[in-house]
Amino acid sequence: MTPIPPNVAALLPEYVLTIAAVAIMMMEAVLKPGASRKPLGWLAILSTIAAGIISYLQLAMGPLVAFSGTIRVDAFSVFFHLLIAGIVIATLLSSLDYFDGNASHAGEYFSLVLFGAVGMMLMTCSVELLMVFIGLEISSISTYIMAGFRKSQTASSESSIKYFLLGSFATAFFLYGIALAFGATGSTSLTAIAAAIGGSATPRMALLALAMMIVGLGFKVSAAPFHVWTPDVYQGAPAPVVGLMSTAPKAAAFAVLLRVTFSGFASMSHRWTLMLWILAALSMTLGNLGALMQRDVKRMLAYSSIAHAGYLLVAFTALPAQGIAAACFYTAAYAAMNVGAFIVVTEAAGFQESLRTVDDYKGLALRRPVLAALLAFFLLSLIGIPFTGGFFGKFYVFTGALQAGHVWLAVIGLINSGVACTYYLRLLASVYSRREDGADAPRIAETTSIAAGAALALTAVATLLLGVMPGRVLRLAQDAGSTLQANQPAAADGAVPVNASEAQH
Amino acid sequence: MNFDHLILTLIVFFPLAGAILLALLPDRGKTMEWGALLIALITFALTLHLPFHYDYGLQSGFQFEQNISWIDSPAIRYHLGVDGLSMWLMVLTGFLAPLGVLISWRAIDSRKKLFYVLFLLQQVAMMGIFASLDMLVYYAFWELSLVPMTILIATFGRTDKRRRAAIKYFLYAFIPSALLLVAMLWVYAQTSTFDLPALASLASRHGISGNDRALWLASLAFLLAFAVKTPVFPLHGWLGDAIFEGPTAAIMILAGKTALYSMLRFSFGIFPEQSHRVAPLMVVLGAIGIVYGALLALIQTDLKRLAAYSTLAHLSFIVVGIFSFTVAGLNGGMYQILNESLAGAAFFMLLGLLYERYRTYDLRQYGGLAARLPWMVTMFVITGLAMVGLPMLNGFVGEFLILSGAMQASFTHHLFWTVFATLGVILSAAYMLTMIQRIFYCGLGPVGAVTDAQDLNTREHVALWPMVALFLVMGVAPSVWLRAINTAATPMATQQAGSTVAGATTHLAGQFTGLPTMPGGAR
Amino acid sequence: MNSMPANYLWLIPLLPFAGFLINGTLGRRLPRGLVSAVALLFTAAPACLVAWLWSTMVGAGAPEVLHSPAQTWISITGLHVDFTLAVDHLTLVMLAVVTGVGFLIHLYSVGYMAHEEGYWRFFAYLNLFMFFMLVLVLAENFLLLFVGWEGVGLASYLLIGFYFTKQSAADAGRKAFVVNRVGDFGFLLAMFLLVMHFGSLDFTTVFSQTSLLDVTGHIPPLCQGLCTILYTPYSGGFLTAICLLLVLGAAGKSAQIPLYVWLPDAMEGPTPVSALIHAATMVTAGIYMVARCHVLFDHSPIALTVVACIGAATAIFAASIGMVQHDIKRVLAYSTISQLGYMFLACGVAAYSAAIFHLVTHAFFKALLFLAAGSVIHALSGEQDMRRMGGLRSRTPITFLTMSAGVFAIAGIPPLAGFVSKDEILFQTFASPNPLAKLLWVLGLITAGMTSFYMFRLWYKTFFGELRLNPVHGANDAHAHEQEHGAAQAEHPHGVHESPWIMLGPLAILGVLSVVGGWIGWPAALGGNNHFEHFLDPVFVSTTALQDPSAMNADQVSHGMEIGLAAISVLVALAGWYAADLLYRQKPGRATRLARQMRPVYETLENKYWVDEIYESFLLLPLVMFTRGMLELIFERGIVNGSGRAFAMITRGFAWFARRQISGNIRSYAGWLAIGAAAVLAVMVFGHSLLVHL
Repeated sequence: MTPIPPNVAALLPEYVLTIAAVAIMMMEAVLKPGASRKPLGWLAILSTIAAGIISYLQLAMGPLVAFSGTIRVDAFSVFFHLLIAGIVIATLLSSLDYFDGNASHAGEYFSLVLFGAVGMMLMTCSVELLMVFIGLEISSISTYIMAGFRKSQTASSESSIKYFLLGSFATAFFLYGIALAFGATGSTSLTAIAAAIGGSATPRMALLALAMMIVGLGFKVSAAPFHVWTPDVYQGAPAPVVGLMSTAPKAAAFAVLLRVTFSGFASMSHRWTLMLWILAALSMTLGNLGALMQRDVKRMLAYSSIAHAGYLLVAFTALPAQGIAAACFYTAAYAAMNVGAFIVVTEAAGFQESLRTVDDYKGLALRRPVLAALLAFFLLSLIGIPFTGGFFGKFYVFTGALQAGHVWLAVIGLINSGVACTYYLRLLASVYSRREDGADAPRIAETTSIAAGAALALTAVATLLLGVMPGRVLRLAQDAGSTLQANQPAAADGAVPVNASEAQH
Repeated sequence: MNFDHLILTLIVFFPLAGAILLALLPDRGKTMEWGALLIALITFALTLHLPFHYDYGLQSGFQFEQNISWIDSPAIRYHLGVDGLSMWLMVLTGFLAPLGVLISWRAIDSRKKLFYVLFLLQQVAMMGIFASLDMLVYYAFWELSLVPMTILIATFGRTDKRRRAAIKYFLYAFIPSALLLVAMLWVYAQTSTFDLPALASLASRHGISGNDRALWLASLAFLLAFAVKTPVFPLHGWLGDAIFEGPTAAIMILAGKTALYSMLRFSFGIFPEQSHRVAPLMVVLGAIGIVYGALLALIQTDLKRLAAYSTLAHLSFIVVGIFSFTVAGLNGGMYQILNESLAGAAFFMLLGLLYERYRTYDLRQYGGLAARLPWMVTMFVITGLAMVGLPMLNGFVGEFLILSGAMQASFTHHLFWTVFATLGVILSAAYMLTMIQRIFYCGLGPVGAVTDAQDLNTREHVALWPMVALFLVMGVAPSVWLRAINTAATPMATQQAGSTVAGATTHLAGQFTGLPTMPGGAR
Repeated sequence: MNSMPANYLWLIPLLPFAGFLINGTLGRRLPRGLVSAVALLFTAAPACLVAWLWSTMVGAGAPEVLHSPAQTWISITGLHVDFTLAVDHLTLVMLAVVTGVGFLIHLYSVGYMAHEEGYWRFFAYLNLFMFFMLVLVLAENFLLLFVGWEGVGLASYLLIGFYFTKQSAADAGRKAFVVNRVGDFGFLLAMFLLVMHFGSLDFTTVFSQTSLLDVTGHIPPLCQGLCTILYTPYSGGFLTAICLLLVLGAAGKSAQIPLYVWLPDAMEGPTPVSALIHAATMVTAGIYMVARCHVLFDHSPIALTVVACIGAATAIFAASIGMVQHDIKRVLAYSTISQLGYMFLACGVAAYSAAIFHLVTHAFFKALLFLAAGSVIHALSGEQDMRRMGGLRSRTPITFLTMSAGVFAIAGIPPLAGFVSKDEILFQTFASPNPLAKLLWVLGLITAGMTSFYMFRLWYKTFFGELRLNPVHGANDAHAHEQEHGAAQAEHPHGVHESPWIMLGPLAILGVLSVVGGWIGWPAALGGNNHFEHFLDPVFVSTTALQDPSAMNADQVSHGMEIGLAAISVLVALAGWYAADLLYRQKPGRATRLARQMRPVYETLENKYWVDEIYESFLLLPLVMFTRGMLELIFERGIVNGSGRAFAMITRGFAWFARRQISGNIRSYAGWLAIGAAAVLAVMVFGHSLLVHL
């Protein structure tokens, strides 16, 4: 029995990160402009690692419920905590040298990343919609700013503004959804909502509420038709930031979506399954088709991230047992390979992002063989070639869909993955083909720092392990799934620890 | 000590270790070549363990099995094992690898490390395909086999069209494979096992699914994926460009054996009934493919294109054989897989050597080289004769068994198409001899006039003689191979014939209409 | 029975193969003397073995047939084929011819090819040919026979194309191989049917099972066409099909209509090759095969009739062409075709022993004629056109003498070999129960006349009159300019010269043989006792006693009749001679005038009925056109590759559409969001009920 009160224990990772973030802000303020910001970066990294370790330890404490049942730390949220922590660590490692010396006030960037992480973690571990919304806002705002962090470039600021405006538009939908939910069920706690709409015939209003929330979250995960913002924003934002915001916020948003659908509105599954079926098909198709003709690498990856959101949504059409686990696993695999890909882009293009189009990558294999090999590996994983995380991600997702009888969705999806390899391969092919030496050949960044190397290693190893021995991660994902289902049917087992925790005071 | 249960794992993953080693070594001098050669030779030596320890007494079933759980849910098992067919295919793959290295010795002069690493990875994938008995493990290797080949073509292709050829190849192979994966997952959803023997025994008891239509679609997905990769006429759109661009060592192992093996192992194993239903159609496609390929080969002026079409023709023979579902046909088909891979490889090697000397594949540039390259022409003639199926050389045994088997299916439809297919015997001789004549005989051609090249050197002799020797041995003593292959083929023919009523009825239908029964026949 | 020789049977073919290996691999480095020594040794050795074999197999109590121990070749469930050799009297005869004539021609070649470049290559190929030919005649099952069958085709391909730098030679070699392949197409199908119906390819099994079937009476109407015959379940039909397919094979190998076209071109090869392969041995393989399978043919009257008709037609057809050719070797080539026609005819009337008998005598005199012609060409340093020859009688006396023996023999002047065998065939034809018998006999008779005409024409044009050789003699044969520098260091001065003894020796021996060779089969009617036929009786009579043709002929036809027929054929032969004498000795001008008078006929013959051209333009050209136009352009480019391209285009179209919405304009984005949201709401609220209703 742990002496720590649950309110402390439950949010300990978030506390750690917040403190670290604030501290970094302070130091940034006192540091003189010229000085290197790396130590701040390292601090951020260490704090994230600490947060990760702590949330892993939380697993042992069993499901913790805090703040009168609004926060619930269980296998599910821990899974996403670890995932987000991992993403953040990789991002920070890769951006240590990216910003250092290039951007003023790099320290702000590190603290922003941490704040964002706090927000996302909060989203994943809160079972109360307003809490979710708070987390959502925290993470969103920090990502808006990060998107515009290459202050010199106008494109960067533009993407930041676009992201901000549309993002707030979308969060408004989400908020409205919450309001409707409250109206329908008289509560904003998912467990309560589940209990409320469990038995009765599904009320219209609840439907609308769910629809609104799906819109809001759909925007966050950039699912079609809410994906329009993605290419511009990704193109403009700094590469490492894109790596972060194409994975971590999505992971968080998906976590919320999972909670909302599979536990909150589980009894209405027959309704939202159809909805998400359509969204999945749309996202996969539009994403891949959009990427098909794309010459700009970052835009291309943006579209591919849309498509992957689609693959992930396929998991929602599966039965809970496989669906949640598949979704969790896919999120992890996608995060590993996508962050990896963006880190490679970062390293190859440098702060000035000299390499824009696919053809700029010609000759990379000659100049930076290792980097090229890693890029190839990540791209193959994105295609879904076996022995990479991407393969098992797709595998679980589509197995789930098939077991639920959605054969055609599976066919659409896998045909899509076939179409998808066209553009991945175009990049791959140009990476491995000679560059005809023109005068205006964009320069490929020559060196990679230890930190970035570590980040690459981290992501690569993660992708490989997920592809070769997915068993362990899958088990975690399945635990996550089972806990999510466990606390869905009756509010009872959710409520008991609440009373217990209050009894201690 | 006895490591029979580990040998397959060793064979599959030794090249991988080798590839990693090569990647770490510095690319200096001839390091890469020697390294790759050594690794390939050791792998070959390992594969030789199989035929020597194979129990020829067993009339069916798999040997050297290794079966351990990899992922418990979904139930994916690391299950390796070989039967008479896959054993010899592994040996063949092992045998071809060193020759591939030898043939690339001079052809690949830059970015050797990349080349040989990819070459060895391809090796891994192919060995894996032949060895794995778990459907998903198999699929993993199957997909993996696309990657090195694609990069090899994209990077070491001949002209600047290489990238398009590579992507074309990948798409042609990958999109059907996506459907294949759907079908596999569907089968898993029905049976909750990926284990091939289990599935096969289920299938023989009609235990996979009651839904005939779905089964039919699934089987078509399987068949399509394999047919495209083989390629079966008219799905050969990728072959021409891939062969046209690809480096010799890659196209030596490009087409044929993996896909045909998969057909035999998976399509026939899991969907015996459906395979029977589609057989008449496949025989027709095969027969047409033979004549079509031969005719087009006859009019090509580019050696690589000619080789591509002749490959199509020869692969079509195998298709006819295995889909005749007769003992002789299956035996011949399986044996011909070995022969075709060998002869085709030798053919491509020779073309490569010719290209190294004269830097062109344009047939019109050649002529009258026989006097200059006596050994080269000897090799060409022997290989050509092996490919046109001259008795006492390997090709003949296969073709004879295939065609006589197809005829033994003994209903009008097959008889007619067998006669049609046999026309290929004439045409193949025509284009092969025409090619040899235009390269080596008559007056001296333009390239011969400008460049005077040396005859085969020692390395090239070392690379070619084993092939030629094998042609002869496989032609004179095929029983060495057939002994094992027969144990794999006979049960397939008999069990398939016995197991399916529907198959039999379609046969009758075919007999009277003389037309292939179309998928519509599925109930 | 003594199995002593049986164990050594394999030595017979394998010795020449050893010779091939030695010369083929080391030959280039070895001195010519050694090369020829090896070649001769490895050809002589089998000849001796054959002699020994013969001694063990004739005489009382000798075994009728010897089998070599079997070696497994192909063995799968339900089909088993062995490497087995067997010798019976038929094979014995063939062995004797192949090894004997083969050795003589090897000997001759040593002289003839003395100055050639690829000397070693030549002898290697020659030995390879011997190997395959011996396998062919020794084989005990169809598949092994097919090995030899294809093998001799290969050897002939290599030897025809010996002067591979010559376009015409290379073309001829390829043509020979491909046309033979057409025949092999038939042979293969026949074998498939055999496997299908007998489950075996061994002669003993197949023949013993066949002779059990009693379907001789049954003749399915041909109008049903080959297909129906193939598939009708009753046994007679498939036998007919098998036989007809075998005939196709035989027609290819033995240069019968419609597949004879390769043989005249095959004269591009060195003359000894023409003598050995394209006259004496290989081309007779078809006849041997038909005779070997006589059990099958006896059960299929249709097939027999077809064989007879093909034979007769070919005989007269080729002879007619032979009458007007100018190239000495081509004349001989066409005469070979027509003589083979005779043999086919004989097989067709089930007079197999007669066919084999003619095969033997023909081997003697045709080999002789070719070798003599070679000697003439040699003498004229490569000249082959008879219009430039003449008056060689005095210059090359021995060649003339031997050549004359050959000419008289083939022309059927008694008592030379040709007369005996040809007369036997004509008699058997006349006497056969076949409804067409008389017609066939007339054709044969006319052919006999033509034969003697064109042979004497050749004889006169070559050896009589004045030498018309103009100083610049045609270097159309590679042999010619090989000769130029060759002759320089040759012992005799340049110009017309008699050949060396190593060439004349074989000529002499063959000359003698073509005189006396026929006497072994001297017909009973003319006071001989038909040794040869009786020697072959165990092969041809024993299996099908019930309907042995010679048996039933004997009582039908009286000896007087036979003598009468013989007399007629002799008269015809003499008539032919007289005509030739008239046109080419007494009034040389008349021939040309005659030609001018009946120009159309003459041109038709001179252009060989334009058969090659017809094949060119009605078979090959359409095929190539179809392939280029239909297959490559429309199907390959259009459909096979086009479909992929079309798919790509469509996807691109969609892609373009998918990207249009992303304009970069933030208002439109907001719009899209709103629309999307509306859609989601709609689907959530109504979608489900819609689905339910659907």
